[in-house]
Amino acid sequence: MKYTFTISVFIFCAVLSRCGSQKKTQYDIASHVTAENKAIFIERAEKGKALYKIYCAGCHGIFTKGKDSIPNFTDIQIDNYHATALIGLDPKNHAVAKKMSSDQIDYVITFLRLRKVKKIKE
Amino acid sequence: MKIFSVIAIIFLTAFCFSFSLQQKKEYNNLYSSSLGEFNNQLTLLSNTIKGADLSHERGRDKIREQIKNSRLKMKGLDFWFRYFEPNVYRRINGPLPVEWENEVFEKFEPPYKREGAGLTLAEQYLDEEIINRDSLASLIASSVAALETFKADSITKNLDSYHHFFLANRLFILNLATLYTSGFECPDTANIIPELQSMLKDVKEIYITFDETFPSTALSKEYLSLYDKTIDFVSKQPLQFSSFDHFGFIKDYVNPLFGINQQFIRSYSVVTKNYNDFTLNNDCNSIFDKSLYSPQNSKGIYSLIEDEKLLTEIKQMGKLLFYDPILSANNLRSCASCHKPTEYFTDTTQATAFQFDHREHLPRNTPSLINVTFNHLIMLDGKHISLQDQAKDVMHNEQEMNNDQKELIKKVVSCKEYKDAFKKFLKYTPEEKEVSLSHIVSAITYYYADFSNYSAPFDGAMNNKKAIPAEAVKGFNLFMSKAQCATCHFAPIFNGVKPPYIGSEFEVLGVPEDTGYKKLSADKGRYNVNPAKETLNAFRTGTIRNSAFTKPYMHNGVFQTLEQVIDLYDVGGGAGKKLTVNNQTLSSDSLRLNKTEKSELIAFIHSLNENIIFENPPPELPKSSDKKLNARKPGGEY
Repeated sequence: MKYTFTISVFIFCAVLSRCGSQKKTQYDIASHVTAENKAIFIERAEKGKALYKIYCAGCHGIFTKGKDSIPNFTDIQIDNYHATALIGLDPKNHAVAKKMSSDQIDYVITFLRLRKVKKIKE
Repeated sequence: MKIFSVIAIIFLTAFCFSFSLQQKKEYNNLYSSSLGEFNNQLTLLSNTIKGADLSHERGRDKIREQIKNSRLKMKGLDFWFRYFEPNVYRRINGPLPVEWENEVFEKFEPPYKREGAGLTLAEQYLDEEIINRDSLASLIASSVAALETFKADSITKNLDSYHHFFLANRLFILNLATLYTSGFECPDTANIIPELQSMLKDVKEIYITFDETFPSTALSKEYLSLYDKTIDFVSKQPLQFSSFDHFGFIKDYVNPLFGINQQFIRSYSVVTKNYNDFTLNNDCNSIFDKSLYSPQNSKGIYSLIEDEKLLTEIKQMGKLLFYDPILSANNLRSCASCHKPTEYFTDTTQATAFQFDHREHLPRNTPSLINVTFNHLIMLDGKHISLQDQAKDVMHNEQEMNNDQKELIKKVVSCKEYKDAFKKFLKYTPEEKEVSLSHIVSAITYYYADFSNYSAPFDGAMNNKKAIPAEAVKGFNLFMSKAQCATCHFAPIFNGVKPPYIGSEFEVLGVPEDTGYKKLSADKGRYNVNPAKETLNAFRTGTIRNSAFTKPYMHNGVFQTLEQVIDLYDVGGGAGKKLTVNNQTLSSDSLRLNKTEKSELIAFIHSLNENIIFENPPPELPKSSDKKLNARKPGGEY
């Protein structure tokens, strides 16, 4: 009994620690960006992350272990999304994005663009 | 035998296939042959310019004649050109040498300078005293160069499918209602209706060829028969655009055509890749319906909330905040202090509102908040890109509410009613961890935007054929023609947002400082935001809707009556009154409107008074834990 308990506590802690480590996203911001602007970028990206988790991750599950690169948003794709999203071409055909304010779309895209991901070798 | 039949089948298929390919080409061919004809006309024009005697009227008339011929060919291509590449088309048919544009999706970027060239400018240039042959020739050379763009694969590949057709047609119909008959792009007013007639016929040819090439997505009989009636109607109208029945033309022909075309867009599942379409709503069936193009996002941070009950609560909070002077540093001034909800959300008693110090006055007249949602840029100088930004700015502005962001939020949250509500809304806005200024301003904008959803008797006349006074109809016809109002104020909102409804226009009128026209108003307007020669003293074109109730008028509130405003236009603006306005966009010539005509214009303006239902102010404001704040009065005391 004691044995099972210890194991379950251990598993619980392991799960908890994983959750904890998932919370913090690393951001990849070019070195020439000033500290002040960096802070602004991260603030916006964090807002995007919060929105993403609730409104996007259901289909674009980048927070699930092992699926970090699904969908494989490349930088260019994200930039294109950014442009078309702001233009309004894409959101019109997208059930969630079309409801977002342009600020919110900007947050989400900033998050996607800046978060550090393992680059897939081309 | 078997082999023979197989071969026969192959041949038959190949034949059918080649036939269908050939058919596909017909529509394409019409495009390239029209383009070729236009190109020839431009070559002829260039040669005429080379050989003409520019010092004599006779030489100039020769050029004018050739411009006229070229214009007719150009009008036949307008259907495609304006939709495919409006900015390149500006070098063929640009009404102004320089235009500063700020389109919806570019609003995060500085405005673009668009240079015009081509036939309209060449025609105007011919009226100058001294003409430089090279300058004139370069205007046309520019058009010839621009034509190359329209031959590019990236553009002609659109012609291979039906999608672009209904979207280009939509733009064409919208321009029939707003642009083609107003003379905006046609300096010689005698040519407006003849050009319209020729254009309608050319587009008929486009229709027929399209139907042959794309039989499965053809225009319906209903549409084509109404279009034929339209051509017939125009051919029976007087050739002078001032006696043309603009009202009947739009009400009985253009607007119904628009409705049918919108049905095609939906039923043929038309897909767009063109930025000309992105504000237009496919579900709207009338040009005079406010859902025609997407307005400003009034929900702001609450955009993702759809629960009606919750939205009603947000609106209620917005209303309380709108009337609550807690938003100003001294707890005396609310939004409603200047935007009085009983006075069409403006202040009809003062030219410009008091500054925060309650002594000096602000430089600009308080704008009505009704229909502001239909502006792509906010403020008369277009300083802001969203309603929420504007609201935030007012709260910080030292001359207006003079508030500190943190202090403001602290004060608002000190009221239990606000605190509870915002804590609840917070759950739906995951991007913010605490109550933010965005929560406050978005509630306010969401509240007042509701008052922009009403319609006017004029809309009823256009949409449901309800009667409006005959005087108002005459006024509309003047509005569209002789009085030249429609060259800047476009349906459906009658503001400066013109088809395809992606940018806001700014104009320089030469508005005086005083009613005696002694001095030009010192306000630099758009120049403050986008400094350029053309933007000095320019202001965003406002809406005409409800203007009968939103006095005083102009950016500085200098005029008290609509008569005074019409007189400003009638005399040719500030320049017409001998003020020095080098970049006035309004012609300095008199419009020569007589008394009856002016009163008809005013009758039309009255037909745009919306049947708005105003609300009473809240009886009391939320109580704060800070007792000093509880002396606040709904609406404030300014």
